[in-house]
Amino acid sequence: MRTWRERIGRAVPRGLGKPLGILRGKLNPVAVYRRNPSFWKETGTAYLYLLPALVILTVFIFYPFFDAFRISLFKWGLLPPRPYVGFANYTYIFHDKYFWRSLWHTFYYVIITVPVTLFLAILVASLLNKGLRFLSFSRTSFFLSYISPIVAIAMVWRWMYNANYGLLNYLLSLLNKIPFVHIQPIDWLNNPDYALPAVIILSVWHYVGYQAIILLAGMQNIEQQYYDAAKVDGATGFQAWRRVTIPLLTPQLFFVFIMSLIGSFKVFTEVNVMLMGPGPLRSAETIVYYILRSSGRIDGATQHLGRAAAASVVLFGIIFALTIFQMTVTQRKVHYQ
Amino acid sequence: MLRKIVVGLLGALLLGTAAMAANEPVTIDFWHAMSSGHQPNLQALITAFQAEYPHITVTLTYQGSYSALQGKINAAVAAGNLPTMAQVYENWVTPIESILYPIGPHMTMMEVGDIVDGLVPSNTYNGVLTTVPFNKSIMVLYYNADLIATPPATWAEFYDLAKTLTVDTNGDGTIDRFGTGLRPAANPEQFLVYLDQAGGSILNADWTEVTINDAAGMAAIQFLGSLIPYTFVTSDYMSDHMAQVAMFIDTSAGYNYNKTAATNAGYALGVAMLPVGPASQSSMIQGTNLAVFNVPNQTQAQKDAAVLLARFLLRAENTVFWAMKSGYQPVTKSAYETQTWKDFVATNSYQQAMSAQMLLGFSQILHPNYGDMRTILSTKFDEIMRSATGALDGLNSMAEEIKPLLSE
Repeated sequence: MRTWRERIGRAVPRGLGKPLGILRGKLNPVAVYRRNPSFWKETGTAYLYLLPALVILTVFIFYPFFDAFRISLFKWGLLPPRPYVGFANYTYIFHDKYFWRSLWHTFYYVIITVPVTLFLAILVASLLNKGLRFLSFSRTSFFLSYISPIVAIAMVWRWMYNANYGLLNYLLSLLNKIPFVHIQPIDWLNNPDYALPAVIILSVWHYVGYQAIILLAGMQNIEQQYYDAAKVDGATGFQAWRRVTIPLLTPQLFFVFIMSLIGSFKVFTEVNVMLMGPGPLRSAETIVYYILRSSGRIDGATQHLGRAAAASVVLFGIIFALTIFQMTVTQRKVHYQ
Repeated sequence: MLRKIVVGLLGALLLGTAAMAANEPVTIDFWHAMSSGHQPNLQALITAFQAEYPHITVTLTYQGSYSALQGKINAAVAAGNLPTMAQVYENWVTPIESILYPIGPHMTMMEVGDIVDGLVPSNTYNGVLTTVPFNKSIMVLYYNADLIATPPATWAEFYDLAKTLTVDTNGDGTIDRFGTGLRPAANPEQFLVYLDQAGGSILNADWTEVTINDAAGMAAIQFLGSLIPYTFVTSDYMSDHMAQVAMFIDTSAGYNYNKTAATNAGYALGVAMLPVGPASQSSMIQGTNLAVFNVPNQTQAQKDAAVLLARFLLRAENTVFWAMKSGYQPVTKSAYETQTWKDFVATNSYQQAMSAQMLLGFSQILHPNYGDMRTILSTKFDEIMRSATGALDGLNSMAEEIKPLLSE
């Protein structure tokens, strides 16, 4: 068989080979239309339906992202002049110890929050799926933590973490009734060692209900026949959960995992409201906190919009790389029914 | 003769046109962040202003929190649709001072001279009074009046009292009540108060050198360092820890919160002027100013009307009304001499200290990188007071980190 180059001769410059090849090949929309006129009609309709979402995404997601990258290359102020500085903003943040510290705090938060929340969500969903008598009440109760505004939740948890009058320290003090147990009250929000763990505990509590509801929906969609087959094969309850429920739940697990990973990297409100700042000795300063401080939006800081944009681009790069990694590695293990 | 008549007629025509223009209806937008408690009082002032200038309509727009207001002003700068005037913090408008319409040149000498001295530098750009003060508060000393009969008058007395009042009441080895409390990360202005009282400053007068770690700075930080064992350090509002501290420096705007919290903690709250430092008894003034925007979407008539409103709000009776209703401090010297204010102070004893302290106030510098300096102060001051670094080492780190900001 002749190649496309042999067919069209040597008139095409070598560099244009690939694009032209595509145009002449299966992906050429005109060729597709000629072969199957109904295809265009169907895809055209699909594109039409997608258009509103695409417009919104373009205006509010794609354009701001590319603009943030552009801004990161300038010494950007609210007013001109805005001189081009190349990668100076990136150089600045990469030499700023607080940028690295905020990155470390964020990773620390993500590494603990994401798996712990997911693990607890699987447990909660499995318990709810056992057929509780008050399923809808339980579901609503768990979901309440998620639908409550995070600012309100953080305020309530501020009280719960209060070193002198807080609920958590009261509960810990009850353990002192056990012989040989002596637990000192923890100054959760005012001790650099506990500030970030306090944010992690709050976040796990906040998101576990939401994730559990999604997983529960997935569990309830698993066909009974799989469990029947497992029962016939002599599987115990745990074995059925391990070999049937979890594998068939992987699409939901995958979704929840990716979404919580992305969301966790953007943690800010919990820190800002509950700790009223970046925590003692900046011990809970996260990357988004760093970005907002650089932009001059918090703490009365000077506006360095270029630096803030550069840090945003780095955060995007991290989330993007991790998401691609997740999608390529984890998705292989996802089973769709 | 004919020439004189023509000139006279033209002059009369011009004056007539100006007079007509002056009375042309004009509407101005005023963005603010005064929540529901303060809004009726602000509206009352606006109503009085509109009664005096019937051709001017003021559209008051509550933009939410200060953070929301800042965000909206930033967005409006980018979109080119700024309001005629807005309530602003210094660091919001320092980067956009080129589009501010200077109010000072349209005020009388008497009006300019009447502004509280400590408020003039923080409203002056390139030697021109550009913005004017609006809602201002001052740092004062709050104390447990059941424990402290006479508040400390000097640094030495403050130290002695803080030491005496730091106690472990139940004998469990942990301190139950500290002599004093600080919020170094959230409120680094507390350090600036001690620095100013010692006669120091962050930078020299022309902002060419960092002076924070000179002799005055060292005196201030060493004094604060000596207080560490007797100081409760937190990022929270001190009103959340009233039972744990005997006295503390805080803004006058927090009076109502502190009073309620003290009552809940079971003691009476006292308010006093700050103890006198080696150089002065000064204190830091904080709060917002009023800015008029000089942008294409605002006509000259609108800017003129906004200036009139700013001047109206500075009048003694109006700044007194606002202070009495809002809890902020009057911003002009003559206001403190009015009988209304004197009567108010006489019936509200806590105001005596606040009023006296306000007249000894100073404000933040308008350096373009002041925000970055504040971040450094906040970080290092927190490290010092939490003993994560030595007092003098921390002070020298502040100076080293601030230095590069002068050349940026």
